[in-house]
Amino acid sequence: MNKKRAAPAAAMLCSGIALVSIVLGGLLLEGPVRADIPGMFDSDLFVMTDGRQVYEHICRGCHMANAGGAVGAGRYPALAKNAALGSRQYMALTILMGRRNMPAFGAKYAVGFGGPPVTLNEAQIAAVINYVRTNFGNHYTDSITATEVGTLALGTH
Amino acid sequence: MTEKSGTALSRRQLLTMIGVSAGATAMYQAMHSLGFAAESKFQGPIRLSAAPTGASVLVLGAGIAGLVAAYELRNAGYKVQVLEYNARAGGRNWTLRGGDRYTELGGETQECRFDPDLYINPGPWRLPYHHRGMLSYCKRLGVALEPFVQINYNAYLHGRKAFGGKPQRLRAVQADYDGHVAELLAKATRNHALDADVTAEDQAILLSSLRSSGALDSNYRFVKGADSSERRGFERDPGGGLSARPVFSEPIALSDLLRSGLWAALSFGALYDMQTTMFQPVGGMGQVGQAFARELAPLIRYNAKVVDIQQDQRGVSATFEDTGAGPSRQTVRADWCVCTIPLSILGQIPMNVGAPMAKAIAAVPYCTGLKVGLQFKRRFWEEDEQIYGGITYTDLPIGQISYPSSRFFADGKGVLLGAYIWDMRNSMDFTSMTPAERVAKAVEYGSQIHPQYAKEFDNGIAVAWHRVPSAMGCFGLWSDEARAAHYDNLCAFDGRIVLAGEHASYMPAWQEGAVTSALDAIDRLHERAVAGAAA
Repeated sequence: MNKKRAAPAAAMLCSGIALVSIVLGGLLLEGPVRADIPGMFDSDLFVMTDGRQVYEHICRGCHMANAGGAVGAGRYPALAKNAALGSRQYMALTILMGRRNMPAFGAKYAVGFGGPPVTLNEAQIAAVINYVRTNFGNHYTDSITATEVGTLALGTH
Repeated sequence: MTEKSGTALSRRQLLTMIGVSAGATAMYQAMHSLGFAAESKFQGPIRLSAAPTGASVLVLGAGIAGLVAAYELRNAGYKVQVLEYNARAGGRNWTLRGGDRYTELGGETQECRFDPDLYINPGPWRLPYHHRGMLSYCKRLGVALEPFVQINYNAYLHGRKAFGGKPQRLRAVQADYDGHVAELLAKATRNHALDADVTAEDQAILLSSLRSSGALDSNYRFVKGADSSERRGFERDPGGGLSARPVFSEPIALSDLLRSGLWAALSFGALYDMQTTMFQPVGGMGQVGQAFARELAPLIRYNAKVVDIQQDQRGVSATFEDTGAGPSRQTVRADWCVCTIPLSILGQIPMNVGAPMAKAIAAVPYCTGLKVGLQFKRRFWEEDEQIYGGITYTDLPIGQISYPSSRFFADGKGVLLGAYIWDMRNSMDFTSMTPAERVAKAVEYGSQIHPQYAKEFDNGIAVAWHRVPSAMGCFGLWSDEARAAHYDNLCAFDGRIVLAGEHASYMPAWQEGAVTSALDAIDRLHERAVAGAAA
């Protein structure tokens, strides 16, 4: 499958900065959003390789600071006390391919809007999985490697 | 199809044929190539014939799509019930003003501390002149509209690496870009580089047009002088009396302009969706939802969280919890269901539809948009910088700063849209912050453009759409592949259920997509209801 892109019609309605980011690309979009992570937005990929940083800048938006998830009209699943985390492969595939309104972060599946999508590489995906599975009250003893994430990514079509 | 042989088909007839034979996606592709795509499909108020006696419809969600569906179906005589999760109507059509409290997912509550008459629209905030459906409902419901200033030549373009981070007036960047390009083209023409492409006669006309479009002098140069200053502005404006003589301004050198990257923002106001005249409801976009709510008051059940949707051969049942009253459940039933719940939430609600619709619902992630409203002690952008409405674009994570399009010259405090983030990297990052951190970041970044921020900032409020309990996302983010595979299945009836909303449109995020999608859905519903009653 080719890298997915948002429809041109969608790009047309964006209000500005997304278009800036298409055209300016590497010219202007650089510099840290937070002082603690220099160069965070220097490239299409987040440069963070620390699992905690990936969690705190991306995953936390929905899964919350304590990984407790949230309930509104729908819900964001907790990543604490969640049996699904028992399978590191399940986590990897969910992050690679997305699930319902959770966006995909694998380069093959991620969809951008106007600008580039947010993608995570194998090392980043492995790091955040290992971080989540050993924090928030999780004590899994097995871990996942970037190579294993890469193999799983190849297994998707 | 009633076309006569030997008569050339109109493009619209042709498109209709493509639509019937090859489906909506193929029709859209054809429309796109024929330049029809961005047009609203709104064809004036819908005229449904009388509803079959006793026919009933359940509308899930009181956002724009649900409200339009409920309004029109009720007018046609259907017995309509609406279930809405929030305690208010409008959905993403929403205005936050002083005194409002907003609790996001995760439990953080913000209290809006804006002064009276000041507000932000966390969701949609502007109406293009060709969004005829929305404009029509505003008129019919008595929602007063005023101009929304999209393009302001005196607002800024700002790049962190451009001109040492000093914001440039749109007016100057536009004039200099147009001028330099016209000069280059004139030079190429006069050097005979275009002889193969343009006749001698047309070259003379081209040169005249370049002088006009680029503000070139009589030697076809874009240089400091009266011609260029009348576009880009003066170093000192002309006046009267002894200080009357203007001082011309110096254009930005071509290379500096190109390398600044600021030219990338020049086309925004030229987009069909952004061209003047744009409108906004007086007093905030939320006026539209409120006007519908007044009209439909007895039909809407608020604080109703839908937890189950089941259909059978005769009708549709929806089970809901009253969010104010605890987990006890109630079930309502009708002949038909127009479901406008965002796919981000609908995908989690048990609903017995077939695989095609279920897969379509699951195929659409949601964009991570975010807005921050900032109140300042005075309207310094007007007082100090003569910026009246419009938008400053920046490559800072805040994306843009928008100045209010109403209450110009007012005394007292003022509210800016201090961040409007579409870029998914930055919006995910901002969503991951606490509301207070988002506001602080918006102030920190914005002060790089307006140094007055530090002294004048008063308070702020931040809405990250993935944290909004009733939406859990900003709008459906369709990829081309997902649309090709699932869009028709999302929109098609499944038994007695039809979906509507911006997610069921080719105008994602726009309210007009919700309107036209709802009208399309109820048109088909009515057809089925009438046919079923006659059978």
